[in-house]
Amino acid sequence: MSVNELFNKFHEIASSPKEQLDTYLAQGKEVVACVPIYTPEEIIHSMGMVPFGAWGADMEVKEAKRYFPAFICSIMQSILELGMTGAYNGVSAIVIPSLCDSLKCLGQNWKYAVKDIPFIPMTYPQNRNNEVGKAFCRASYEKVIQDLEATTNTKFSEEALSNSIAVYNEHNKVMREFSEVCSKYSFISASQRSDVFKSAYFMLKEEHSSLLKQLLEEIKSMPKEETKKVKIVTSGILADSKSLLEIFDNNDMQIVADDIAHESRQYRIDITEKGSSLDALAEKFSNMENCSVLYDADKKRVEFILDLVKKHEAQGVVVLMTKFCDPEEFDLVPIMRACKEEGIQFVQIEVDRQMVNYEQAKTMIQTFKEML
Amino acid sequence: MSEQVQKPKYTPDPNSAKYKLNEITVKHYREVQEAKDRGEKIGWCASNFPQEIFQTLGIKVCYPENQAAAIAARGAGEKMCNVSEADGYSNDICAYARISLAYMKVKDAPEQNMPQPDFVLCCNNICNCMIKWYENIAKELNIPMILIDIPFNPDYEVSDSQVAYVKGQFLAAIKQLEEITGKKWSEKRFKEVMEISNRTSRAWLEATSYTKYTPSPLNGFDLLNHMAVAVCARGTIEAAEAFETLLEEYKQAVIDGTSTFRAEEKYRIMFEGIACWPHLRVTATGLKSRGINMVATIYADAFGFIYNDFDGLIRAYCNVPNAMNLEHARDKREAIIKKTSAEGLLVHTNRSCKLWSGFMYEMSRQIGEHCDIPVASFDGDQADPRNFSEAQYETRVQGLSEIMDANKEGK
Ligand code: SF4
Ligand code: SF4
Repeated sequence: MSVNELFNKFHEIASSPKEQLDTYLAQGKEVVACVPIYTPEEIIHSMGMVPFGAWGADMEVKEAKRYFPAFICSIMQSILELGMTGAYNGVSAIVIPSLCDSLKCLGQNWKYAVKDIPFIPMTYPQNRNNEVGKAFCRASYEKVIQDLEATTNTKFSEEALSNSIAVYNEHNKVMREFSEVCSKYSFISASQRSDVFKSAYFMLKEEHSSLLKQLLEEIKSMPKEETKKVKIVTSGILADSKSLLEIFDNNDMQIVADDIAHESRQYRIDITEKGSSLDALAEKFSNMENCSVLYDADKKRVEFILDLVKKHEAQGVVVLMTKFCDPEEFDLVPIMRACKEEGIQFVQIEVDRQMVNYEQAKTMIQTFKEML
Repeated sequence: MSEQVQKPKYTPDPNSAKYKLNEITVKHYREVQEAKDRGEKIGWCASNFPQEIFQTLGIKVCYPENQAAAIAARGAGEKMCNVSEADGYSNDICAYARISLAYMKVKDAPEQNMPQPDFVLCCNNICNCMIKWYENIAKELNIPMILIDIPFNPDYEVSDSQVAYVKGQFLAAIKQLEEITGKKWSEKRFKEVMEISNRTSRAWLEATSYTKYTPSPLNGFDLLNHMAVAVCARGTIEAAEAFETLLEEYKQAVIDGTSTFRAEEKYRIMFEGIACWPHLRVTATGLKSRGINMVATIYADAFGFIYNDFDGLIRAYCNVPNAMNLEHARDKREAIIKKTSAEGLLVHTNRSCKLWSGFMYEMSRQIGEHCDIPVASFDGDQADPRNFSEAQYETRVQGLSEIMDANKEGK
């Protein structure tokens, strides 16, 4: 396939999760929905099931209003709405972590709002990088395994997990490479870039890796070009809004790196296997950093973003702020301040899955571009 | 999460619970300031951080949540929120956090001052928002942060793995604090503190349980005031004695047939959520004028920690209301409603508190059904005065009282 055909393929998958889901179900596979921001997908994968990303959708929320007050983020609202209106029919279970207060509430509401899809909680430690934290993380994984075995027709084995870890490490590697490639080949649009990241949630990782490797091969055989686009780093929870990505593209913006939870934050850390594979998985979580929902007393995330800017010679930072996301709202202030001190251009754009009017976002991005 | 708010209009009897409790709050702020002035390291502390740790070490701390409530109740909530919003904090963030972050910056609020921290003690058994808020303080002031992570428990019972995790952090926190302050841990003192804390908690829980009498010897809003002491002085003899005095007073009131609820008690309700501090008078009057007494609140239980040993202590901190799953939280409330014969449930949908309000619709529906009582809710905020509408509050309370009326007639 040509580069364009491959990008079209990613686009098709990213825009049709329902079809993807139904295809897997038709193949007789069991599917488990995985809610942001981190879930132990490796475990689900190793048990022969399809971990399927559930990050909500751009839509109007109606039914979920019976459960959530208006000041809960639209990612939570739309996940519940999708659940209540049958979009996840056929899914065997949903794993919901509790890394922020709104996520804690989603799990509790889910039990009553979507009774036919079992809720499996995943409780991570915040004090994660020490022995008691790792032990607790492992115990939480064991609980998830127990719940999965109880609700699905599958069995867990350390050996299978070890194989899945290899699949996930490989996928991490290609995803990181893809992000790098996007910083070097400016013809790749923000929308195309997003399609690649988004489609990863609706495919088995080995399938996604293999398709992406083809794409990378094709791209890397092309001559590099001097970019005339404006290089930016994006940060936030989510950056998959079509209208917003169009604004980036219409304004010739090139995402050279991201700190988006739905994108690169997923792929930063590999699993090093020493000892049991479940311990290795807990070890991975203990090493994760630079994310608003992971305890970070030193706010290393701020430095991390500045480094991304420097390393990729970006001209500015665009923070896509999911409305009502308090973890991100807290981090915003030190990030904003640091950018100011370093003379890095910065803009914050509020995003919401229920947003229909992007005029303000458009004006802000245009003004931002003029300032660069 | 609370604060003494009403200035006494008269000089109360120094032997009264009210006087003693008020003195404890005043002394609490004074002592931490004195410690700071002596050059000791003092901390800012989350309301549900295991106080046994710093009580044992003899370290003084103060409570940003109490301070924010006091500032809000004394009318400066909006002013302080504006300060942090001007710095880039979204007005969707918990107003306690916004007020606290503003105070850290301006360092002066005549409504309630307290010394600046040398370290922060965070415990997220009430919310994860707390982690972010304290991270920002620690970063901004460049001071150490100690976190005891007590995750939200999705199961009914606290698991052994969670106890082990929290215990490990408890021990680590002691070490960190010893290093920061140079003070030394004493097992003997720890035992004493645990005993005193239990004594205080028992007296507090027993006193608050007096709302079970009809009519209740107390106006439930009194508890919102007294809670400040349960938060900040649980481990002190003075607090134990003050609550024991309070208990005696309630006992006597039941015998005498008197009450601090100064109206005829026509209806008894449970009030869910934190008070609307900026609109305390309006919200209290809206109830009192209709003869509605608040006799039930989960708050009373929130600061009573009863345990027998170290493991029990850890479990108690894992079992605070905001860390429980819906079923456990619901059952606790239903038990309180039954014990106090509450006839209605009034829910404060608190814009500041995502965790508290995020599954309250479903939980209050279930409570209403199981206890066969009407449920009404109103929109408000514990500290940002802009998120409350008096008209809506009046309508909702009126509606609730009409159903309670109809229920009474039907019986
Ligand atoms: S982290 Fe933010 S966007 Fe994600 S669920 Fe929590 S509040 Fe919503
Ligand atoms: S978010 Fe809720 S629990 Fe947390 S500090 Fe604010 S009011 Fe308290």
